[in-house]
Amino acid sequence: MAFLEIDGLRKRFGQVEILKGIDVELEKGGFLVLVGPSGCGKSTLLNTIAGLETITSGEIRVDGRAINDLHPSKRDIAMVFQSYALYPNMTVAGNISFGMEMRGVPAAERQKAIDKVAKVLQIGHLLQRKPSQLSGGQRQRVAMGRALVRDPKLFLFDEPLSNLDAKLRVDMRIEIKRLHATTGTTIVYVTHDQIEAMTLATKIAVMRDGEVQQFGTPAEIYNNPSNLFVADFMGSPAMNLIPATIGTSGNALSVVLQREAREPINLPMANAPAGLSAFQGKPIIFGVRPEALTDPEGAERNASHIATADCHIEVVEPAGSDTFAVTNLGGKGVVARLRADANIQPGTNTPLAFNLTKAVFFDPATETRIR
Amino acid sequence: MSAVTTPAHQASGGVNVKVINRIVIYGLLALFALFYLMPLFVMLVTSFKTMDEIQNGNMLALPKAPTFDPWLKAWGETCVGLTCAGIKGYFWNSIKMVVPAVLISTMLGALNGYVLTKWRFRGATLVFGLMLFACFIPFQSVLLPMATILGSLGRFGVTLQNSVGTSFGLGNPTVNLVFVHVVYGIGFTTLFFRNYYEAFPTELVKAAQVDGASFFQIFRRIMLPNSMPIFVVTVIYQFTNIWNDFLFASAYAGTGDAMPMTVALNNVVNTSTGVVEYNVNMAAAMIAALPTLLVYVLAGRYFVRGLMAGAVKG
Repeated sequence: MAFLEIDGLRKRFGQVEILKGIDVELEKGGFLVLVGPSGCGKSTLLNTIAGLETITSGEIRVDGRAINDLHPSKRDIAMVFQSYALYPNMTVAGNISFGMEMRGVPAAERQKAIDKVAKVLQIGHLLQRKPSQLSGGQRQRVAMGRALVRDPKLFLFDEPLSNLDAKLRVDMRIEIKRLHATTGTTIVYVTHDQIEAMTLATKIAVMRDGEVQQFGTPAEIYNNPSNLFVADFMGSPAMNLIPATIGTSGNALSVVLQREAREPINLPMANAPAGLSAFQGKPIIFGVRPEALTDPEGAERNASHIATADCHIEVVEPAGSDTFAVTNLGGKGVVARLRADANIQPGTNTPLAFNLTKAVFFDPATETRIR
Repeated sequence: MSAVTTPAHQASGGVNVKVINRIVIYGLLALFALFYLMPLFVMLVTSFKTMDEIQNGNMLALPKAPTFDPWLKAWGETCVGLTCAGIKGYFWNSIKMVVPAVLISTMLGALNGYVLTKWRFRGATLVFGLMLFACFIPFQSVLLPMATILGSLGRFGVTLQNSVGTSFGLGNPTVNLVFVHVVYGIGFTTLFFRNYYEAFPTELVKAAQVDGASFFQIFRRIMLPNSMPIFVVTVIYQFTNIWNDFLFASAYAGTGDAMPMTVALNNVVNTSTGVVEYNVNMAAAMIAALPTLLVYVLAGRYFVRGLMAGAVKG
């Protein structure tokens, strides 16, 4: 039995269904990230776990105990809000201890807890300040301190980094990960940033329109997206999703990619997924991540199945650590990720290696994965 | 170089127009300020003059031998109707009526605003819309129905007095006025607080809920301490309105010992016996106006302070 279990959760505002039957579970000490575009219901889902929103049907259990009908303060949770939600009239110490004060914890014990948390987060020198006297990163720490001091069963984070500037966001991301590793708490984390999702999570739930599109480990989500939406949403730069058709090459299936003003590329598939044979002669969507499309020298040595084809390079983008090259296949711009020192010129034809072990295929009609 | 000199020339022409604009604007402002302050000036200088000086001198002239006697007489000796004990009693009447009325109506407005924005219920907008109607009710139209209600409350008070031994203040003119002003003030105070709390970050309320604070704990510990600006605005507004009210005061406490300041002032000035003591009348009027002035001076500085800085990302 998992630590956090969400069963068939539905949430309706009038006629509009915001959450359409969510099933998610998380082991103790896990880090669940709810990710999706704005309006997908991820924040609503978090609020229902916190008890700040009621649910229409379904059940939420923490440690085997149903909590859907409990008041937020009785659920043994702590929450970090997007705006930090620090009480402006109280000092940092007052903010951190407010929850304990409400629960009637004696002053001496409260002081001890404040000191302990302040040490963990290195905010000891800020305790007597008001939130208005803190920088963004310090407020973020205080908000986390307020959550930490409860020592709850479940931490809820609602887009906690979205108000920070880019550099600070990366620092705090690492800090949250370190905190999770050292304290071993169970965390549910909402973000629209797929990089945060990938780096922090032990489990990711990709959401769209109130439904979980895919639920799995970051590696599963990244390498085995279950539909077009997940494939497109996760990963930066995004996965190349190229319209193609399935043909044959000898007695194996092959992927046929149209090129401008030249004969199509025909990539033979050594171990095509079983479902693909039904699509012979039919259009499909061929998905390949930029790092699986590279210069032949840079291709993964131990990949079992690599096909090379000549491609016309339209644009070259040196990004320092890598060089991105844009070519045109199937009528779409396709990004390849090459070594930083790859010798490549725009306007030339260059052989590119397709790592077909990493390739995925989608049915354009249903947008689901062909397995 | 010509390209540089031409804009400079235009700029100097612009400066002239600017100066004229300033003169016109400040001239008009000074004129309006003069119009506004002239009566106050006349009242103030007259209140420090002797009757001789008033009858023989210029209205705008400064007092030759300033005297506090008119003020002392207005406070302690002048006749209101038939009793000649000054206006001090009526001044305290007003204080006793205004302070509870302002505090109760402000607190109720804050509570209403809190519920209407942070504990939205089905039909909250409609309820708020209906409460807004209270702001548009002409007070003349409620004089008679309210008199009937106050009469019933008074009779109920008598019944209580006979059966329980205390009327709980029902039927007391001061309590009546507090009641009336609270009822008719709620519309405005709710409007003020509701609009302020509408922009108040809801996440603070959610955070407090997660922290385990109850409905009233959130109100007292989170909402109220962060409501200083609107609290001050509401108090100034309500204090000025209730203190200056003459209609309700004369209708429901127009005679007798509970008469508020405004009614008493009217009775001082309307005395038909003897010489009209302008200096005493002016001093009485100044005393009547002082509390509202004082409230502005004391509370006005909080108007500007943005106490919400730092609540959310700022």
